[in-house]
Amino acid sequence: MRRATTWTRSLLPLAVLALVVSACAQATASNPVPGFFPLPAITDQGQSSENLYVFILAIATAIFLLVEGLILFAVLRYRRRKGDDQLPTQTHGSMPFELAWTIVPFIIVVALFTLSYQTQEQVDAAVPNPPLTVDVTGFQWQWTFDYKAQGLSFTGQGTDGPVMVLPVGEDVHFRLHSNDVIHSFYLPAFFFKKDVVPGRTNEFDLTLDQTGTYAGQCAEFCGLGHADMRFTVQAVSQADFNAWVTKEQEAAKATPSPLPSGAQSLTLSASNTTAFDESTLTAAAGQPFAVVFTNNEPTGGPPHDFAIKDPAGSSNMLFTGQPLAQAGQTVTYDVPALPAGTYTFICIVHPNMTGTLTVK
Amino acid sequence: MATTVLPRATTYPRSRVYEWLTTTDHKKIGLMYVASSYFFMCLGGLLALGIRTQLAVPNDTLIPNALYNQLFTMHGTTMIFFFVMPMLAGFANYAMPLMIGAADMAFPRINALSFWIIPVSGVLLFSGFAFGGAASAGWTSYAPLAEAKYSGIGQDLWILALLLNGMSSILGAINMLVTIFKLRAPGMTMLRLPIFVWTVLVTAILLVFAVPVLASGLVMLFIDRNYGGSFFDPAAGGDAILWQNVFWFFGHPEVYIMILPAFGIISEVIPVFSRKPLFGYKAFVLATVSIGVLGFGVWAHHMFATGAVYLPFFSAATFLISVPTGVKMFNWVATMWRGKLRFTTSMLFAVGFLISFLIGGLDGAFAASTPVDFDITDTYWIVSHLHYVLFGGSAMAIMAATYYWFPKMLGRMLDERLGKIHFTLMFVGLQLTFFPMHLLGMAGMPRRIAEYAPSAWQPLNVVATFGAFMIAASMLPFLWNMFAALRRPADAPDDPWDANTLEWATSSPPPPYNFERLPEVRSERPLFDLKHPELRKAATPAAIVVSPGSGH
Repeated sequence: MRRATTWTRSLLPLAVLALVVSACAQATASNPVPGFFPLPAITDQGQSSENLYVFILAIATAIFLLVEGLILFAVLRYRRRKGDDQLPTQTHGSMPFELAWTIVPFIIVVALFTLSYQTQEQVDAAVPNPPLTVDVTGFQWQWTFDYKAQGLSFTGQGTDGPVMVLPVGEDVHFRLHSNDVIHSFYLPAFFFKKDVVPGRTNEFDLTLDQTGTYAGQCAEFCGLGHADMRFTVQAVSQADFNAWVTKEQEAAKATPSPLPSGAQSLTLSASNTTAFDESTLTAAAGQPFAVVFTNNEPTGGPPHDFAIKDPAGSSNMLFTGQPLAQAGQTVTYDVPALPAGTYTFICIVHPNMTGTLTVK
Repeated sequence: MATTVLPRATTYPRSRVYEWLTTTDHKKIGLMYVASSYFFMCLGGLLALGIRTQLAVPNDTLIPNALYNQLFTMHGTTMIFFFVMPMLAGFANYAMPLMIGAADMAFPRINALSFWIIPVSGVLLFSGFAFGGAASAGWTSYAPLAEAKYSGIGQDLWILALLLNGMSSILGAINMLVTIFKLRAPGMTMLRLPIFVWTVLVTAILLVFAVPVLASGLVMLFIDRNYGGSFFDPAAGGDAILWQNVFWFFGHPEVYIMILPAFGIISEVIPVFSRKPLFGYKAFVLATVSIGVLGFGVWAHHMFATGAVYLPFFSAATFLISVPTGVKMFNWVATMWRGKLRFTTSMLFAVGFLISFLIGGLDGAFAASTPVDFDITDTYWIVSHLHYVLFGGSAMAIMAATYYWFPKMLGRMLDERLGKIHFTLMFVGLQLTFFPMHLLGMAGMPRRIAEYAPSAWQPLNVVATFGAFMIAASMLPFLWNMFAALRRPADAPDDPWDANTLEWATSSPPPPYNFERLPEVRSERPLFDLKHPELRKAATPAAIVVSPGSGH
């Protein structure tokens, strides 16, 4: 048994070392190195939850050290010595000990539950008449943020997604909507997430108290583009927020620059999830053009859209049509000028639907 | 009347293959369960290596998203339904009848059917890869993503495969229940059952109640996808959350289905290699039963972030279930206390189980707390937690069981040196792979993402990938060890570990119908009693001593 013992001895420090090394890192907002502690939360609610987390971590660490310590002690102290064939005392149990390790953990979990319940009431508390409401819509695979009272709407483009600007110091009410599958609105700096469930509007309130720019992304697996469903939250002072609202409202009022007159307009439609109705399109090189896209699916059918793949071969899109065309809808996508060449167009909802776009 | 002289019956020379294909011997069926489970473990492990390879590099385009989604869906499904569950069913099939002194299972032919369904459903599941893509909506297949609008034919194959697989589980569970209730040897009262048998019993009850619920959900999803149903489609008046309720009503008892028999294995291995009885046998039985009961009241803790569940109830129930689990942990440590520990490979895996499962269990306290769960759910933190329970728990116990019962099952000892190399690589690999995932989750990395932007997440992902390859490497000495042992002549004695239970009271491997004679059963350690008649009085548990004057 000598080999076994030396062998056990050499392994244990290694395991302990691994734990200690990984414990050293701590995450901060400016330097998000993964560690045992979360990013410092930027909301009142998130800070309460993080305090609870740290408390549970302390208790769990104490229990971890106690029990692993007992295991290691037993392993090292009570290993059989060479040539010792005597039977150890046959202990079948001990009522006092067994009661102790039933009752003490019971008290601990009741205490943890009580604390957790109190924090949950705080985190879940609804605010009457919140000064700002943001409607979040998740869809495959992008976000739309609507500030309805302010008349503003932002839909993300590309893999960075949209930016949500929020004021610090006042309550913000969130409403989450989905029209396709389940998504989850997750911002690590909130120490919070809530699922975005079709057929159900989830609501919650948060109070931000720290300015800065924070990354978030979809946390509920939602299909091919799940990893690219990102967004950014920018927390600003109330004055900056008001200025931003005014600026965006004016920008929205200005008429969008129309396509140059005489720009080409291509027609495309889809009636099923297997293929587009047209498999080839032709456009002029170096000129912006429009794609008038009709989703001919019956009511309740799936959404489709028009996107152009990057010919370099990566999974990125050169152009992604926004918003998706819902069943029965016609959407016009303004496509920027492209150099001559052959491109693949695709429905990002149904990547098996492709066609060839010739630009010459 | 003329006398007819019948020719003496001779044994027909039957091919080995025919014999194994048609066998109803619980030992052969058990072995086939174990072998097929190891096959699927290797397959599921290869899928995991694909996942880890992809995640070692940010914005990696090695594996296209569509394939990546199939990899993690099939990894989870394979490991749960085709590795852990049938593996534990296999050990139960082999060891349980022996441990209770029975000649076979109660329904030998149903037993063969339950096994043969597994490879068939496995082929069905994996055939998705040949028909335009395997299932890719995650092993939880949340609706509406798993509906026909969003997922292809692989999803239908997944549903059919799990329906078949569930049929196998239900048949197996009923078989186990009847065997335990009806075929125990004389003297083997319920409170003298080896703890492994108790855990198999409670697991079988969980299976009988939980699997039909999954089956109903699968049928509803199949109707939605193929016959215009709308159970789970909100666009047509269905309810997306309904799927989650149905799925997790099965899915959480499922976790205990995968861990209770592992507890049972550890509760056999630790006493044998400590040369002491299990500390607190009755507390153990009680803890097992209460985990089984409470296990049905915690399913919605998987759904805290949906906003559609009553949080306090499921939070409280989840906290509560940690108490009986904690009792077990302390009882195992107390069993080792003042024992004479022998560190065979089996015992090393059992200690590895204690060390790792403790982490998985403590993680549960975080997930039970709703405000904390709002952050950690669906991040790598949860991936870490579930692997500490299922790999650090179930898989480590499966390894302990393999080294423990291999001599009995195949009549050959496994090489201890190779075993220790296997354990070291696997244990260290396990910690390296899964511990960093806690930290990645705390830093906000969601699970099931095929790529991430270049960030501070990368170094820990590289560590995890390195660990995963270490686990894969650990399988090589293990598989070689088994292969080499099978090429040697049978050399295992009846009772190589100086063990306690009846399976060691017969030859290795046991003859057809198991026993020529059975020792007297007067405690949960009949073989120990036989070997130590001098301790007979002391070793007799208070369980069967009826104190005079008590009102029995």
